Order: sequence, then C-alpha cells, then structure tokens
Amino acid sequence: MRILFFAQLKDATGCDAVDFAPPSPLNREQLWAMLLEKFPGLREHRGNVRLTRNWEYADADAQFTNADEVALIPPVSGG
Amino acid sequence: MEIEVQLTNGPIAGKISPPRLAAHGAWLEFRGAVRDEENGEKISALEYEAYPEMAVREIRRILESLALKHLCLAAKAIHRVGIIPVGEAAIYVGIASRHRAEAIALLGEFMSQLKQGVPIWKRRALPVGARLSQPQHVGMGEHVGNIGRAAAGTTALRSLDEAMSEIISRCPPLPAVRAPLAEAFGRVLRETICAPEDLPPVDRSTRDGYAILTNDDSENFQIVDTLHAADWKPRQLKSGEAVRVATGASLPCENLRVVMQENVERTGDQIRIMRRETAANISFHGEDLRAGEPLLRAGAKLDAGALALLATAGNVNPLVSPRLRIVHFTTGDEIIPPDQTPRPGQIRDSNWFLIRGLLQYIPCDLTQAHLPENFEQAKCLVSTFSLEPSAFDLLLVSGGASVGEKDFTRALLEMLGFEIVFSQINLRPGRPLIFGVNGSRAAFGLPGNPLSHFVCFHFAVATALARLTGGEPPKFLRGQLAEKLDDKPCPRETLWPAKWEIGPDATARLRPLAWANSGNVACLALANALVRVPANRGSVETGAEVDFLPLKYS
Repeated sequence: MRILFFAQLKDATGCDAVDFAPPSPLNREQLWAMLLEKFPGLREHRGNVRLTRNWEYADADAQFTNADEVALIPPVSGG
Repeated sequence: MEIEVQLTNGPIAGKISPPRLAAHGAWLEFRGAVRDEENGEKISALEYEAYPEMAVREIRRILESLALKHLCLAAKAIHRVGIIPVGEAAIYVGIASRHRAEAIALLGEFMSQLKQGVPIWKRRALPVGARLSQPQHVGMGEHVGNIGRAAAGTTALRSLDEAMSEIISRCPPLPAVRAPLAEAFGRVLRETICAPEDLPPVDRSTRDGYAILTNDDSENFQIVDTLHAADWKPRQLKSGEAVRVATGASLPCENLRVVMQENVERTGDQIRIMRRETAANISFHGEDLRAGEPLLRAGAKLDAGALALLATAGNVNPLVSPRLRIVHFTTGDEIIPPDQTPRPGQIRDSNWFLIRGLLQYIPCDLTQAHLPENFEQAKCLVSTFSLEPSAFDLLLVSGGASVGEKDFTRALLEMLGFEIVFSQINLRPGRPLIFGVNGSRAAFGLPGNPLSHFVCFHFAVATALARLTGGEPPKFLRGQLAEKLDDKPCPRETLWPAKWEIGPDATARLRPLAWANSGNVACLALANALVRVPANRGSVETGAEVDFLPLKYS
C-alpha cells in the first residue's frame, strides 16, 4: 500500500510517501501502530489526522489492503 | 447538472464564460484572493498544496450534493495550488441557477464545506521581499526534497543529487492546455480522468445464444425477440420466454443468463435447453469500471493504450502538457557535418543527431542550428533566430570540445537573459554542465563529448523535460551487476553506461559497457541504463547491488 503525507506531516515524517506491504489487511489501529513505529513524529498529530482510502475519507471500520492508496490528512485550509 | 472541477498551477483566467444553458437566469461568480497578511504578518504570497486526485473528487462530490439540494444547473470550481501572490485568486467558483437565491445559498455552503474537508492546504506564507521566481516546490502531487536548503553559489561544484533537485525545483510545470486526442500522443495528462459512466453501461452478452430469466426452469422457450450488438430494446422477460442474442448485445433487462447456442436445440421459434451451465455468460454493468473511478491519473504519459481509454470514455479534449518548443545549438569549429571526411583535428557532428533522436520521444517542435565558435559571429547568428523569451521553452547548447566552451555557452545564455543556476557538477562524465533559468524557460549547456552529452541528457535534461511537462522525473532503481564493473577509484561520482534486462529471478541485471573516456561513442548505441558508482569506489564486483537509471529515451 502506498501511504501519502501532506502539509506538516511531510515535515513530521521527512517524506511525502512511503510504501508498505503488510501481509494482510489492516484496520485503523493496526495501520496507526505501523505508522507510529516507523514515524514516531506522527504521534502528536494523530488526534487531528483523518485517514483516506482510495481518495475518500475512510470509515471507522475500514480495512486497508496492499492495493490501497492511503493518505494522512491533517486539518485542511483551502479556499 | 454540469460540473467542472480543476486544480491549476497557474493563474486563474480573468474571464470565465458561463455555461451555455438556456434555463439559467443567474450566473454567480466568486473569487477568493490571497490577502496581504497572514497571522498578523505582511506577506507577499501563499503557497498551497493539494492532494489533487482527492481534492477534485471531494469538490465534485460537494457540488453534486449541493446542486441537488439547491436545484442549481451548473457549477465550475477552480482551485489554484503552488505559490499564489497577494491579490491573485486562489479559488474561483461559478454557479448557474434559475434564480440568484439558489446560487448564493449554494456558494455559501460550498465554501464552508470546502474549508472543512477538501484536502488542500496553505503550506506556508512567503514574507514580503521573498523571491517568487524560486518556488521551493510547485506542482500537483509532486514534491521536492531538500526544501529550504540554502542555494549554493553558481560556481560551487554540485553533486548529482543536488543538481537533480535544483533542476526539479527550478523547472515548474508549464501551463497545461487542452489538446484533441489525435494530437495528445506522448503528452503528459494534467488532470485525473474519471469514468463518466459505468462500463459496460448495461449488462451485455458474452456469447451467441439465448437470454432467459436466471431462475427459469422451463424446458421449452418461445423466442420473443432477436438482439444484435448495436440493438437496444428493453423489455421484461417472462418465464418460458427467450431472446436470441449476439455476442456483445445489450440485454433487454436484468436478472438474466445467456445459454450458449451450442447447448440448445432450436425448432422454428422454439428452443429446448440440452445442457445448463453455471456461468451466466454476461459482462455485467459496471463490471469493468464504476462511474467516478479514476481511469487515468494526472501525470500519466499518454501512450496508445491511454488514448484508447480516453476515447472509450468520450474524453476527446484532455488537459495535457503543451507541445514543447526546443532550440538546440551545436558549437565548435572542429565539428563538421557527418557527410564530410574529417581532416586531422576535426570530428563529425554526432550531437545533432543524438539530440534529435532523443527528442523524438516527446512531442516538441525542435529548431537546430550550428553556431560558429567566434562569439561575435555566434551572437549575430543567434539574433537572426529572434529568440524572444516567449518563443521557446527549452534551450540546449552542445559545447565544442575547445578550451573556451564553458565561457562561450555561459556568455550566450547570459546574453539571452538566463540566470546561471550552476555550471559544474561533481560527476564523471559530464562535469562542465551548465543549467540556467529565465522565467519559466530552462537552458542547458551540455559538454561536447558525445558520452558526456548522452549522460547529461538522461539525468539533467530528462529531469527538466519531465518537470516542464508535469511528468515523473527520472528515478534511480536498484539492480544487480551481472558482470564486474572494472574501474579505478575516481574522486567524482560516476554514471557508467550499461545494458540492463530483467533476470530470471525478476531482478534487474546490469552489464557494464566498455568505456574509456568521455568522448567514447561506441557504447552509446548499446546503453539503456546508467549505473551509479559512488566517488572513490573503484571496481564493483559481479553480483553487487547498485543504483541505476533506466533510460527512458532509448
């Protein structure tokens, strides 16, 4: 799965995208656990970050698979 | 309901036409501009960033739901990203409705929903006095490393990585254009194209046979209609009825199966099923694609398959990179045309054909000329090309092999208004590489030796071409040496010509090509990769893992 970081999360992780290949689909908790292990700097942002799966905000019970494009969306400020 | 959504890197047009709808009485337009202060500080610009695919979808989704709620007829939204100077619009919204009240209500709700859920960010504010011409990263979905690194002086020796990231940051994508499909081959798609409808749009038969209700256990069936591939005749089938269908025919209703003609016995307009299969023999509606799913993402290069897909989706005017206008000068008095026999000290010009050949891979208009080595004469000749800043996008100068080549190219670029970004890289071959920018135009002074020329084109010019068109810059991959790379330690990093292929274990395997000096042309015809050898490394053994650049233009 490809995971994208935007805005201040790029600074927190030092990159704009990362590829993971988890052996089986992950729920929200498992995905976060994996992310925080690799990027501890995301911890302070977690409360404000929304997850997306394939260009849509993910439901609470979403399963994230290897084929998905996932993004971490910090508070937006368009317009 | 007509909805158009765009993200753009450049200014939003000053005048945007309303949709041509007979019914609308109101056309409401809103532009949100960048204010001159942010958090109490005076600023000169804001830099916006977007998650482009999702931002476009979210804006469309919001507009669609609000249009239903407020009974609006058409809407258009454009959000600009990248660096936006104070006073210029970051967003444009146009809404058509029967009466003004609906459009005004929709606009208000749209803007508040946009600010809550559309993945677009104000990335940073540029203080007054910042140089707007040096975006640290501009682009839709492309981001550049080393943000904020202090610019080194133009004379400092650049590493390969530094040179590539400077080219990336100084060559923002040129404004996109709409091109007819017939002219779009090889261009870079600059918008994400979504399926306009389910594909296939209706259930279709995949066999020649007879359509019956899925659970119809009748033994004999009455044939009530015949459907060919182009027919569209909806009807509700009843038990005991069958419709003769051809492969590809649109089925008359849902909940059907198709019995292959080989499995029935036909008598007049009656059939009897001899063998029942489990397969429905139907390509179900939406099976290939659902409406709204992305077909092609922004940044995709439009090859033949992509054009076929756009044609299928009815998208005949995609937003793509413009056709590049490229000027190429060769220089050096020792260079003679290839049909002449060189005297001692002369060489045949190969760079002319090298550049011409490499540029066949991208849609461009190429102008080539040979310049005399005398700068005054060269200036005269260049002036006859009337190279106004608006007349080209990329300038390439192939240097002569003489001592003064660097000064010549540099003076030429400066005369044409280019700012020299760097003029040397710590690389073998290709140390004297010049890179300059003038507004949105880029220029390279390429070292004259054919191999240096080849190497510099593939990492430097190819990076600029990718950026200017909005495509993906060249990236190094990992591979394994299939043969020893025999070298003495060199204080500079090396890009070594090689031939790569996928090995039986699915890894990239590289064979280094024999290469003695930067004027060596023999390996040009074979190379399809450049292996990266770190400075002072010396030989690299067979089986070692290496970074390599696959050559896109070969």
